[in-house]
Order: sequence, then structure tokens, then C-alpha cells
Amino acid sequence: MYKYLLCWKYLRGRYIALASVVSVMLGVATLIVVNAVMAGFATKMRSRLHGFLSDIVVMSYDRNGFANADEVTARIRQIAGDDVEAMAGTMETYAILRFYVGGSEVTKEVKLIGVKPEERAKTGDFAEFLFDENDRPAPASFEVSEELRKKTSPAAGVLGENMDDDILNQALRKQALDDVPPRGAILGYAMATARDPEKHRDEYLAPRGTKVMLVFARASKRPEPATDEFTVVSFFKSGMSEYDSSIVFVPLERLQFMLGIGDGEGRGAVNQIHIKLKPGSKADLNVLARKIQRGLERLRPLYFKVATWEEMQGPLLAAVSIEQDILNMLLFFIIAVAGFGILAIFSMIVVEKTRDIGVLKALGASTTGVGGIFLGYGLALGIVGAGTGLAGGLLFVKYINKIEDALSALTGQRVFNPDIYYFSEIPTRVEPLTVAWVFCGALLIAVLASVWPAIRAARLRPVEALRYE
Amino acid sequence: MNNSHISRIDALETKSSTPRGKRSMTAHLSARGLAKSYRKGKTEVPVLKGVDLAVDRGELVAVMGASGSGKSTLLHVLGLLDSPDRGAVDLDGGRIDDLGDRKRDALRNQTFGFIFQFYHLLPELSALDNVLMPLLIRHGPIGYMAARRTYRRRAEALLDRVGLAGRRTHKPAELSGGEMQRAAVARALVGEPEIVLADEPTGNLDAANGRAILELLRDLNRERELTMMLVTHDSQIASRADRVVRLVEGRIEEFSAAPEGSDFAASRL
Ligand SMILES: Nc1ncnc2c1ncn2[C@@H]1O[C@H](COP(=O)(O)OP(=O)(O)OP(=O)(O)O)[C@@H](O)[C@H]1O
Ligand SMILES: [Mg+2]
Repeated sequence: MYKYLLCWKYLRGRYIALASVVSVMLGVATLIVVNAVMAGFATKMRSRLHGFLSDIVVMSYDRNGFANADEVTARIRQIAGDDVEAMAGTMETYAILRFYVGGSEVTKEVKLIGVKPEERAKTGDFAEFLFDENDRPAPASFEVSEELRKKTSPAAGVLGENMDDDILNQALRKQALDDVPPRGAILGYAMATARDPEKHRDEYLAPRGTKVMLVFARASKRPEPATDEFTVVSFFKSGMSEYDSSIVFVPLERLQFMLGIGDGEGRGAVNQIHIKLKPGSKADLNVLARKIQRGLERLRPLYFKVATWEEMQGPLLAAVSIEQDILNMLLFFIIAVAGFGILAIFSMIVVEKTRDIGVLKALGASTTGVGGIFLGYGLALGIVGAGTGLAGGLLFVKYINKIEDALSALTGQRVFNPDIYYFSEIPTRVEPLTVAWVFCGALLIAVLASVWPAIRAARLRPVEALRYE
Repeated sequence: MNNSHISRIDALETKSSTPRGKRSMTAHLSARGLAKSYRKGKTEVPVLKGVDLAVDRGELVAVMGASGSGKSTLLHVLGLLDSPDRGAVDLDGGRIDDLGDRKRDALRNQTFGFIFQFYHLLPELSALDNVLMPLLIRHGPIGYMAARRTYRRRAEALLDRVGLAGRRTHKPAELSGGEMQRAAVARALVGEPEIVLADEPTGNLDAANGRAILELLRDLNRERELTMMLVTHDSQIASRADRVVRLVEGRIEEFSAAPEGSDFAASRL
């Protein structure tokens, strides 16, 4: 019983011990906040990556793809039919994008993706990421609207409703078609804009209606360049800068035609098939991917590569998770530092209490009992520190955006710039398991730090302790 | 056990009076050939060189001796705070110094009561909590809580008995030396021990306070039939004991009944 009484009395009367409580508290709070924010970012990022890629992707090693897409999708349905919600064939290749801003030319190397918008929208988040200049959602379509054409091309404006087929109108029509090609393209947001450092805003270099030229290699034995012109109809803004700064979507049929691998009427080669599983599907992605791989192997050996979305983004996801691990490890040193604080303070208290320990032993306290006082003391400090840290950390996470607002108002500068991160607010995600680990880890460190002083106290021989004057 | 030891006990039994006429054949607490030395670097300093001593139940023995003669050491060894290099300590004829830690802890808690020269109260606790400490140590939380009213009453009664009725909630720092020593006396008694070992309990007190403490101890010794060993430098105080032993050169040099003419001894004879 004396252990609890003395623990309590030592805890109450000793403000220096509070220093170690505070350091444990700060360590725990920091770990919880950092983990919540990192997990929030990671979750957001994963959902974006996932959204972009669908669940499983079938690729061909051959860039020019396979023309028997129907056969392949039929085989996939045969293998995993129950789980498949939708499939979409796409053609991916590299290209050079070129457009004019004022008089000067802008050139960028891009990843050119030919898609059928309505199919693509079913296999992943595609429509959700399309916007116009005013950040309003744009339709998942490559159609160049009449309105856009009139707005952009003076010739089309002049032409108006005039349907006469005279020479002037023919010339105007030709001019309008030249100004605004009838094929739409969707540009990655980061490619279409440039950041204005003064105003901290993104300015559009290629607003909707801009004519862009794409140069790419035709799919022939000896690749030769092909060019095509498109009109920007909307922007792709997924929040993943890797995508937003390099992707251009164009209509699949047109791309197939220009590459020379299609008949221009929807039948042509694709080099990727995105597979989206049914929402309730219980199938293990990896297992299913291997199954599809084996099935396609029989169709055409050593030609297809099947990967889950996680495998395709493996290095990036691994990097994020390693980053989080390393950060956790480093931050855990904060708590370790707090542990050494406890060690030092407790050692001091043991020295200071040497005589009292002798008295307790003279009165019959056991070795384990005396050690228990200090272990209990450490545990109590740990519980108080980790508990307040936990509460503080969770509160901080809960109100992190309000806190950010307040800090921004105070310093006059955005701490968290939503334009840079594409998040309207800081994403957070509290994982109970992580929180439990942090809490238990802090407790463990507090107790471990008190083990040595406790052993020292317990080992004191009563006579030696009593002679200590 | 050597012959001289037996003969000394025999001598003791014929020589000294029998308090209250109740004397058992075995001594309550006895030392047999206790030896203890301290090692300072390479040199070994022998402090006890074969102490033989027997204290009867209910007896109050004063231990005298020059400073550094090993009185405190003897008391520590007898009270199981320290272990002897050679020899043995017996309680009611059974050896206790070689018991395991648990049993030694229990004996210190239940059979012995210690009073120190520097009081050694715990500074964080009130006088009452200090007095309760042996009972707090004896029982776990459940056992203690079950009996806490009884214990509290007992501790309060003891504080009343030693004249500290109005000082229960005082911290040691708020008590005078004499008051602290009285609280320490109450603490030594709260566990209802059989043997009280007091190491210069009056050493830091003025004459009047020292006398008061001594009277208190003597009264308690009589009231409760406590066996007591009292280390002191003061022959006036020693004169109140049933018997005085002197520690010289690491041995008990003389056994004597209380000096003649002492009223205490006279009252017993
Ligand atoms: N831990 C120790 N290490 C070395 N020597 C010690 C130790 N403890 C005691 N001594 C020595 O043992 C001898 C006896 O000490 P002890 O305290 O028993 O004497 P004492 O008779 O109680 O003296 P006093 O009357 O001054 O209290 C002393 O000479 C002391 O220096
Ligand atoms: Mg001494």
C-alpha cells in the first residue's frame, strides 16, 4: 500500500518530474499529429492513384498494342467475370505537345492517352477530375461545343447561323475548322497553367479552345512522325502532379487512326485494358491478377503483363511508406529523449531519497516493493504524459484546419497552401492502431527509463542508506 | 556455541533480577559470537569481534561504549538491517540472521521496531502517515483498506500517547526535534513489535526532551512488556535500564545490573 501512497506523494510534490511529463506529452502529441497528417496524405494519394488506374491493368509489352482487344476482354470475362464491373481499353504513347501563348511557342513532352471517355469513366475516377478554367466540373467528353468554337474563332463567330454555301462562307468555315479543330483534347492541369509568383495564382497558358499540336511516332516498322491538332476542351486535375503535368487525353479512335493501327471506326489496337472490379467484390487483387495473367498467357505467351494498381505504383507507394516509417523512427527519438529525462530525474530522486529508502527497508519494505515505487512512479508519469499527449494530439488533429487558418491569419501567409497541394484542407486520418502503438511505446519508454533508478533504489542496503547523512 | 557464551548467560541469570518474575529459559533476542568488519580499500577494520549477548523478554538493556565502538553496527546486525560476517542472531532460540529476504523483511516489519538518532521520518508524509508506515508496508491495498479504521485509531491513540495529539497532520518539517522523535517512537510501536531497538534516541535532544523520551520508552517497556535495547552515551539515561552492557574493543565487556542507587533498579529489587 505504501507504494501507491509514496508514488502519489512524490508525483505531487515534485515539479521537476513534470518536466518529463511535458516532454513525454510533446513527443506523443507530435507523433500522433504527424502520423495523422501523413496517413491523411497517403490515403488521399492512394485513392487518387487508385482512381486513376482502376483495379487491375493488363498491358502488352508491345507499345503498338494488340488489335484483338475483344478477344482479350472476352477471355478476362471468362476468367474473372463475376468480379468484373467494367473494362476499358486505352492506347498510351509518348508525344510532344506544342501550342502558342501570345507569339511564343510552348513545347512539352507528354504521355498521350487515347481513351473512350464513357468507358474510362466507368473503370476509374476520370470524370471526377475534369474541370474547366473556373474549376467547375467539365463533362467527360471530347466534343468541341459550338459555343466554344464561336468564342475562340472569329471566323466561326462571323459565320454565325448563316447556312449559305457561298464562297465566303466556305472560306470562313475552313478558317473556323482550322482555328478550332473538331477533335477535343484534355490537358493535364499543370501543363495548361503557370504559376504567377506575385499573385500566388495559376494563370492559364492554354485555356479551353486553344489549338494544340501533338507530334508522335507512327506504329510502323520504321517509326515516322505523325502530327495531329486538337482543341483543348477541359483540364485533368487529379492532384497527382506526376499525372497533371504530363498527361494529355485524346479520343481513342482518332489516336488509333493517326498511329495507323485502327480503322477509325472504333476498331483498333490498344496497349492497355483497365479492369474495374465490382464494388462488393471480395476477390484478392493480387490473386486475381495472377489468375488473369495465367489465362492470358495461354492466349498469347510472353505478351501480356498483368498488374494491380498497387504494383504499378509500387515504388511510389513504397517510398511514401518508407518515408512515414523513417519519420516515425526519428520522431520516436523525441520520446526516447524524454525517457532519458526521466532516467536523469529519477536517478536524482533516488539519490535524494536514499535515506528514506533506508528507512522504508528498516521498517520492512521489500526490495521489490521499493523498486516498485519507482517503476510505478515512471508508469504514472508515462500515463499522465502519454495521456495528455494523446488528448492534445487528437484535439490538434481534429482542429488542424482551424489552427492552420488562425496561424495563416496571424502570420499573413498561408501555412498550408491549398493551390500547391490541391487539397482544400489538410487531410488527416487517425489510425487507432498507430495511436495505440504510440501510447504504449511512450509508456514502455517511461517504464524502461525508470527501471535502472528503480533497481538502484531497490539494491540500496538499509544500513548504507541510513548512514547517508 | 562456546563455553564462555553459556557461562556468561548463566552468570547473567544468577546475577540479574527477574523482571515481573516471568523469565523463560531461552533469551528473547541473543547474539552468538557476532563478528563484523568493514573493508576500507585494502585494510579491513574489525568492528565487532565476537559479541555474545542475550536479552530477555521484557528487559530493557542499555548499550554503552565509546564512539566508533560499533554500537550502531551491533544494533543493525541484531535488527537484521545488516548481516554479520560470522556468528548468529537468535530470536526465541531460533536463528534469524540467515533467513531469506522475505522472512527478514517480515521480521523487521512485525517483530522489530526501530528508533533512530535522526528520527528518519519521511518528509512528504504527515505525522500520522509516518506513524502508519509500518502498517502500510505490511498490507497490500485491499488488506489495508479493509482495516484502515482500526489502524488509524491505533495510530492516533499512539500519537496521543506520545503527546502529539495536536500534531497529526503536521509534516516532519513542521515539528520540533523532540516531537519528531516522539512520532518516531509511535511509528516504532504501531506495528505492535516485540522488540524495540533504539539507537541514541535522545542523542539530538536537550536534556529535558531526552528525559521525556526515555520516560516514555520506559513506560512503554513496562506497559507492553517490550524487549528494548537502547544505545546511549548518557550514563544517567543508562541508569534507568534493567541492565547496562558496554561495547569495548568489539566485545561485550561487562554485564552489570543497573548501577546501584538508581531508583529504577531499586524499584525492581
Ligand atoms: N560503511 C562503513 N564503511 C567503513 N567503515 C564503517 C562503515 N560503517 C561504520 N564503519 C566504522 O565502524 C565503526 C563502528 O561504527 P558504528 O557506527 O557502529 O559506531 P558507534 O559505536 O555507533 O559510534 P557512535 O557512538 O559515534 O554512533 C566506526 O569506526 C566506523 O568508522
Ligand atoms: Mg552510532
